[in-house]
Amino acid sequence: MTSTATLMLGIETTCDETAAAVVERQADGAGRILSNVIRSQIDEHAPYGGVVPEIAARAHVDLLDGIVASAMKEAAVGYAQLGGVAAAAGPGLIGGVIVGLTTAKAIALVHGKPLIAVNHLEAHALTPRLVCPLAFPYCLFLASGGHTQIVAVLGVGNYVRLGTTVDDAIGEAFDKVAKMLGLPYPGGPQVERLAAAGDPHRFAFPRPMMGRKDANFSLSGLKTAVRNEAERAAPLERQDIADLCAGFQAAVLESTADRLTVGLALFQERFGPPRALVAAGGVAANQAIRGALQSVAARAETALIVPPPALCTDNGAMIAWAGLERLALGLVDDMAAMPRARWRLDTDTPTPAQFANTRAQH
Amino acid sequence: MLVLAIDTALDACAAAVLDTDTNWLIVQESLPMSRGHAEALMPLLERLMKASGLAFSALDRIAVTTGPGSFTGLRVGLSAARGIALAANKPVVGVTTLSAYAAPLVSENGGNAVLSVIDARHDQAYFQLVTGSGGTLVRPRLAPVSEILDCARYGAPRIVGNLAEALAARWSASAPPVEVRQLAAPEIAWVAWLGAAVSPNTAPARPYYLRAPDARPQRGGPPSSPPA
Repeated sequence: MTSTATLMLGIETTCDETAAAVVERQADGAGRILSNVIRSQIDEHAPYGGVVPEIAARAHVDLLDGIVASAMKEAAVGYAQLGGVAAAAGPGLIGGVIVGLTTAKAIALVHGKPLIAVNHLEAHALTPRLVCPLAFPYCLFLASGGHTQIVAVLGVGNYVRLGTTVDDAIGEAFDKVAKMLGLPYPGGPQVERLAAAGDPHRFAFPRPMMGRKDANFSLSGLKTAVRNEAERAAPLERQDIADLCAGFQAAVLESTADRLTVGLALFQERFGPPRALVAAGGVAANQAIRGALQSVAARAETALIVPPPALCTDNGAMIAWAGLERLALGLVDDMAAMPRARWRLDTDTPTPAQFANTRAQH
Repeated sequence: MLVLAIDTALDACAAAVLDTDTNWLIVQESLPMSRGHAEALMPLLERLMKASGLAFSALDRIAVTTGPGSFTGLRVGLSAARGIALAANKPVVGVTTLSAYAAPLVSENGGNAVLSVIDARHDQAYFQLVTGSGGTLVRPRLAPVSEILDCARYGAPRIVGNLAEALAARWSASAPPVEVRQLAAPEIAWVAWLGAAVSPNTAPARPYYLRAPDARPQRGGPPSSPPA
């Protein structure tokens, strides 16, 4: 199956990016991106201060066939040349997932190609292997607006979740803090920018989960602490907002570094030394967080790999690549593949009892 | 002309291939369902095309219902239809559910006006009113059921749709409906016939929601003072 190069169309519609890409997997397992078209829906959602699921679903159905056509054209590839069609089948906002998966099925059915229903989280997990020849096992830190997880990536389809957030995702906390401080959407980059001009020591924010033996995250209490301080300091001058951002980001950095250090130790205990610590998700675009990851990796004596920003945030190339990795192992799906709002990477890892009623079980 | 018709906008998952030259519905399948269209449609299309013995390349166009109906349901049908059209390089057209409901009742000979009604919940409905020969009397819109009863001023109607019986029960006694067709979804054959009749330029395969998303823009300006 891998004796020649294989081409894959990948479709991503799980949140607020409508994306499609064509990726090639060469006989030696190396990847090459032929096209990677992304249409962000930031403008559609900005007036609402966050992603509105119905608005996202409407945009996906309006945009997706045009985006796929662009990706195929840019790659100069015909459908008949494809080795398969991959779509993110979840987890995510179900309205968009349905549009992406149904479109992928339609294309696969017309041309008699294999369909690969990809887990969006798996696609993030396998992305580093698209950009460099990284062997298993490695440790993934996935942090975005929707997800915050530490995952042991042991092989294609073989993942063990070592830690997750029990409430908000890190990117979600950045966006919510931005919103409560009146910063424009999407707020994550705004918080980072203002934090650079602020005093991280003025406000004493809690460092959630510090020192715990598990590798889980919690952002909700920190977010509430920021809201309380913001209300106490109101009316807020620009410097107050900068100081609040700096204090919040410093707390996130310290907590994240601690959680990752614990996660890497758990990895080492169970699976031996990881080949690398890999960061993915929009949060990895935050320079301060990158810095923190660098020192965590150095202390754990492992390499840090951060794919380029366009491959860290949601994109079609990662879906195509995960499709290629699965196809190479004969892992294909049929027309009945289910769109899934919730889809854990590892169904075997039990959710700790104390988190049974939290988002950790997702 | 060979038309592949798809409808998942209301309480059915349905598709058919119509040959307009021979007036032959080559294959059709309609499954009643209120949820689960996303899981059911593509396996249904795979079975249907296999049973037809036709390749997608043999089709002349794809027709799909655009709504009004379930937001998710109509996106399932539109994604499939537009995906097939893109991959097979065929034209795709949209047909509203209201027109598809009315189509079998409309004829050149005229007759009583035809009222199509689709449940929009909360005592509201999507509706349109056309003359017996298909001319527009009231353009498609969303309204409280009580308002739709005003259509009685156009005379005794024929009522069709998934809210036909409920509406007929509340209809004015002075002009009682002459016919009531309660149907969970339009007949797929009529989706195909309408699809063959319209032009891709004037009947695009785009969602026809008739209802805005349930979301409000946030208030402007930073919260510069604590809440009272």
